Amino acid sequence: MGTVDKDLVDYALNYARSKKIEYAETRAHSTEFEQLVIKNGTLDAFISTVDKGFCVRILADGGLGFASSNKWTKDEARILVDRAYRSARLAKREDKISFADEKGVDTKWRVTQKKKIEDIPAEQKIAELMEIDKALSSQEIKIPGRIISCPIRLTEKYFTNSEGSAISSFVPKIAAFAFITVVENGKPEQAYKQFGRSAGWEAFDEWNMTETLLHEARILQRIIREGKAVQPGKTDLVCGTEVTGIASHESCGHPIEADRILGREMSQAGRSFIYPGGPYWMGTRIGNDIVTIVDDPTVKNSYGYYEYDDEGIKARRRYLYKDGIIDEFLHNRETAAKLGTRSNGSSRATNYDREAIVRMANTFLLPGDWTDKEIIEDVKHGIFMKSFTEWNIDDRRFNQRYVGREAFLIENGELKHPVARPIIETTTKTWWSSVDAISQKVEFDAATCGKGDPMQGAPVYTGGPVIRLKEVYVR
Amino acid sequence: MSEALAKTEAIVKKGKRLGADEVIAETTFGRSRQTRFSNNQVDITVAWDNYVTDVALAWHKRVVATQIQNFQNIDKTIERLFRLAKVSKENPTYGGIAKGKFTYATPTSDKTLQELENPSEHIFEAVEAARKEAGAEVNAGGILYTKYADVYLVSSEGPIGHDARSAVELSIRAFSQIDASGHGVECCSSLKDFKPSRAGEKAGQIAKLARKPRQGKEGKYDIIFDPLFFGSMLSTWGTMASAFSVMIQLSIFVNKLGQKVASDIVTLRDNPAEYSVNNRIFDEEGYPVQENVFINEGVLKTYLHNTSTAKIFKTKTTGNAGLVQPAPWNIEMDPGDKTRDELFSQVKRGLYLTNTWYTRFQNYATGDFSTIPRDGIFLIDHGEIKQSLKDLRLSDNALSLLKQITDTSKERQHVHWWIEAEPPSLAPYVLARDIQMTKPK
Repeated sequence: MGTVDKDLVDYALNYARSKKIEYAETRAHSTEFEQLVIKNGTLDAFISTVDKGFCVRILADGGLGFASSNKWTKDEARILVDRAYRSARLAKREDKISFADEKGVDTKWRVTQKKKIEDIPAEQKIAELMEIDKALSSQEIKIPGRIISCPIRLTEKYFTNSEGSAISSFVPKIAAFAFITVVENGKPEQAYKQFGRSAGWEAFDEWNMTETLLHEARILQRIIREGKAVQPGKTDLVCGTEVTGIASHESCGHPIEADRILGREMSQAGRSFIYPGGPYWMGTRIGNDIVTIVDDPTVKNSYGYYEYDDEGIKARRRYLYKDGIIDEFLHNRETAAKLGTRSNGSSRATNYDREAIVRMANTFLLPGDWTDKEIIEDVKHGIFMKSFTEWNIDDRRFNQRYVGREAFLIENGELKHPVARPIIETTTKTWWSSVDAISQKVEFDAATCGKGDPMQGAPVYTGGPVIRLKEVYVR
Repeated sequence: MSEALAKTEAIVKKGKRLGADEVIAETTFGRSRQTRFSNNQVDITVAWDNYVTDVALAWHKRVVATQIQNFQNIDKTIERLFRLAKVSKENPTYGGIAKGKFTYATPTSDKTLQELENPSEHIFEAVEAARKEAGAEVNAGGILYTKYADVYLVSSEGPIGHDARSAVELSIRAFSQIDASGHGVECCSSLKDFKPSRAGEKAGQIAKLARKPRQGKEGKYDIIFDPLFFGSMLSTWGTMASAFSVMIQLSIFVNKLGQKVASDIVTLRDNPAEYSVNNRIFDEEGYPVQENVFINEGVLKTYLHNTSTAKIFKTKTTGNAGLVQPAPWNIEMDPGDKTRDELFSQVKRGLYLTNTWYTRFQNYATGDFSTIPRDGIFLIDHGEIKQSLKDLRLSDNALSLLKQITDTSKERQHVHWWIEAEPPSLAPYVLARDIQMTKPK
């Protein structure tokens, strides 16, 4: 901590205040970054950097300007302010941008680590990752493609704005990615797993990556050996928590982002099936009344955890779909002002050189009252799609597809043989309207949410319980 | 020697003094500007200035890397990096970095792209062009992006050089209705060739044709791919040609060198040429970039290499070194001899797909994938566009698609947008037969 030059950041803000502005903010990030990459049993590279810089965002004459730099001098600070101010005024918008009202906040927050990442020697990190690869390669299963990486970010931030906010924070984000290819009888199958927490090195211990990846390898081998194709047609589809999570993220979290709804992302990340004057809006039914999906940055130690967003707004749980009805959009201060409401703290930037935009944090379906076992036992004929491989969704977030990775046939309430890559291709409305059973236990997966240009890969959790979709088309 | 090059060299010398076997440092002074617009108005203008030196160091085959910002704390950072190398683990597959003194082409950057006087005028030119095509009610959004970078590279193994890279890109998506849109891009390395109205016109033309879309039907179609769509596919195949992708099985090209992987008319090359928004004169080892034909008349000829992967595959580097792994720069597909219209005339009943996004694989090794066409999707009947369609997904196989290409146009476009067509490419209109389309049920 203490590596950000707060005096310089304050200097930039004070200089911005001397201009004819409606609003100004400065945000500094200092990120200690480490990444280890183990490729097929060898440490490909160990990357260790410190990235430190600051940005200025100015609202003037109803236009927005943003400038950033990693040069920490007063001259540079003035250049950034002048540049952002000039850009804002050049926008010459017909409908002026304004921000929803907020009061300044002066606070500090941090995520504590049980095992401080800074105290873990590089040798130990390397050894622990190499052990995972060794466990994978020493099995009888042939895994010719193995890549495991472990990126760690320790980020100190300092945010100030012209309304009196001054917020300091420190968040350690630890993550791991693994991609494996199992080959059996010349046939390859592949699995990808991501892990992530806002925590110290204790997260790495808790993930039990070795067992998780060995399970994936065994399942891939079993699919190659025993997997059978699905008889296409309508059937009950039981989705594991990973599948519930990705569907919650893609077909609830994304379409509910207010910048998308208002068209600000129209050319890249796209729009939404929810739009002003359209058939879907707050209060419209989108799913069965047992469906409630929230986005909640306050889940402790989650990958998407934060206490204040990057506009200085206190984080809170947001109800996106509530009892099957579209309930609340994700807002920053700009979108909130446009729709006559208050920001709900959804504005995030992945670094100092990125504009804060509307983002999800941890999006998940709330639990129901079934047990996982009861759901399976209640299916006469169906498919259990525990995890997924290929997936995608259109840029209105309505037409989506998920392909099963670990999947089994269900007959008379029992799991039978593995099913090779079952596919559900359906609409958001059909998916959430088909949910007729939800289990009691929510589980989370770490993911990187893509949005913004240049791309801002934001850390998030996706999650939920096991769910059943009644009578949906699976092929 | 410029001051920046001298400072970069000092970093390399520091690493060598400490005992490193090889050190390479690349300093980039980057100036990027972006103006985002939607609903026909400017949303924000963003400016990034970046002063950074990427450093990679090898000691006893232990490879470590770091960044130095604005030449600050050089000694401390390199000492820390060297200590990290000492406790790191040997990479037996590390084969060193490019050795020797090389002669580079002269950079051809456009200095006007360091700071545009009024970026909005280019945006409004494109929006007006879209309006002219599709009517005043068009709702357009997009991004104008300019990049300029001075790059100074010094390697302990001999390479030393300066590159200046510039690019300007406009991406515009025009909506004539909420579910009818067209997308156009204009990508150049200099402002003199940059015509924003071309992108706007194309976006407007497609948006106009896309009005009143009907639900598409599932089935196999002959498909004309627009260069913007096919740029996404070229990016996918180019990335799969990297030796790194091959080694971790993220590729349909594993164990296929010398084999037929595409139809005879397919020739693909990687070429970071002057026109490209990803132009450069050397790679990140300081090796001069070159044109690499990786698929020649349907046959896989080479993977894309850095020095290390080249040694593993018993060949020479292709000048595709990134700091850690080889990467494609700019994929070109050779043109055919027919016009776009002649290509359309070959289709009795098929589809014209103008753009796509969200390309995802079930299995990178087998190539099973799907991607979602966006913007105009059109039914072609006897060479004519008959109907705008929606809600279709291309669900096929990347290797099959390469083999089912039957013709390409002589017109080509340099395309790049967001992460969907990245790296950039030079793509023709492409005709492929019997491609599977699916729809939600």
